[in-house]
Amino acid sequence: MSEMSATYVYGIVRAGDDPPADEAGLHDERVQLVAQEGLAALTSEVPEDFVEAGREELLTHSRVLENAVRRGSVVLPMRFGVVMPDAKGVREELLAPYRDELQGQLEEMDGKVEVNLKGIHDEQSVLSEIVREDREIAELREAIRGKPQDATYYERIRLGELIAEALDDKRAEVAPTLIEALRPYAVAVQVGEPVHERMALNASFLVERDRLDKFDKVVDEIGEKEAGRLRLRYTGPLPPHSFVELGVGG
Amino acid sequence: MAAATQMQPHRGGSGYVARSSSSGLYDVLELILDKGLVIDVFVRVSLIGIEILTIDARIVIASVDTYLRFAEAVNRLDLMQTETQGLPDMMEGLSEGGAESKTKGVLQGAKEALFGDEDEDEEGEDGGGSQRRTSSTTTRHRRKSSQSGKPSRSKRTSKS
Repeated sequence: MSEMSATYVYGIVRAGDDPPADEAGLHDERVQLVAQEGLAALTSEVPEDFVEAGREELLTHSRVLENAVRRGSVVLPMRFGVVMPDAKGVREELLAPYRDELQGQLEEMDGKVEVNLKGIHDEQSVLSEIVREDREIAELREAIRGKPQDATYYERIRLGELIAEALDDKRAEVAPTLIEALRPYAVAVQVGEPVHERMALNASFLVERDRLDKFDKVVDEIGEKEAGRLRLRYTGPLPPHSFVELGVGG
Repeated sequence: MAAATQMQPHRGGSGYVARSSSSGLYDVLELILDKGLVIDVFVRVSLIGIEILTIDARIVIASVDTYLRFAEAVNRLDLMQTETQGLPDMMEGLSEGGAESKTKGVLQGAKEALFGDEDEDEEGEDGGGSQRRTSSTTTRHRRKSSQSGKPSRSKRTSKS
């Protein structure tokens, strides 16, 4: 630990919002608001040499943001890992130059939450479907069956490659259908990369809190309809990570 | 504003959807790392251990190992008598856990090494796999995760 300290930034709220009540942030340092002209940054002190972090720190980042939302704040989350020299730096390099942009986004995000939805194909179900639907795969599979592994190495790679492609096709087919079913209940949609080989959908939806029940109901309906075929994982409500952005700045 | 209680996870519903609040670290990892407000010059903290998970997961989709695992998994479908066309009905008769467990160790194996058993874990409450992986000292900048996020393209070009 160094003597010097720096300032970690979790997110941006409105200056008038309830401040965190004695909340511990990274390294157990107290979370504080650094305010400037109507805006406030959620911050805490970190050692000057704070450059590497792990799971605990990620969770802390997430928790500080969530707690702000629980206090009733509209929160613009910072990406994980933003450290500024000190509170003065936060005011002068973040809050002041980006003031209009941040104000505008706070306005825009008022009353909205992010929901992340991931859909993962059931392995048995999707592979069976692929074998039934794709003749080349079915034939290659028949040809390989019962033969020693060493003798079919390249055929098996080819088979796997074809399956991976078929999974891509499934993804291209499934994702838009699900997104379109949910789009009417969301303000905006951000589609992410799959982070699992059988992941058919990874999308974030910006949803008005008032409409969250409707959105959830449709998710449930999809989940029921796709049961046994696709497993849905719903995370939220979250602060709007996927829907905030800083421009080049002033 | 003033809707604090509404931020609690919505539960219930059909029971077909696994839900968690954002404490489900694995499911929000890429959001916290790749999204949000950022001023590049002040991004200083890099992750050890966890960040690699998201990157590897994307690369692994288009690897030979994955192909071989797919091939093995599809050959194992024999056990499920795919040919009989009775499968959709059979699937309904199986509990999800039952169906999963039969192929565990095929596709699941490598993924568990990456994520722990997150995918199967209804709550997915944390990156269990991350701790197992923190022994890796490699630190990569998060930017790589988005650059490497196009496994399907390189795979496609390698086709035929």
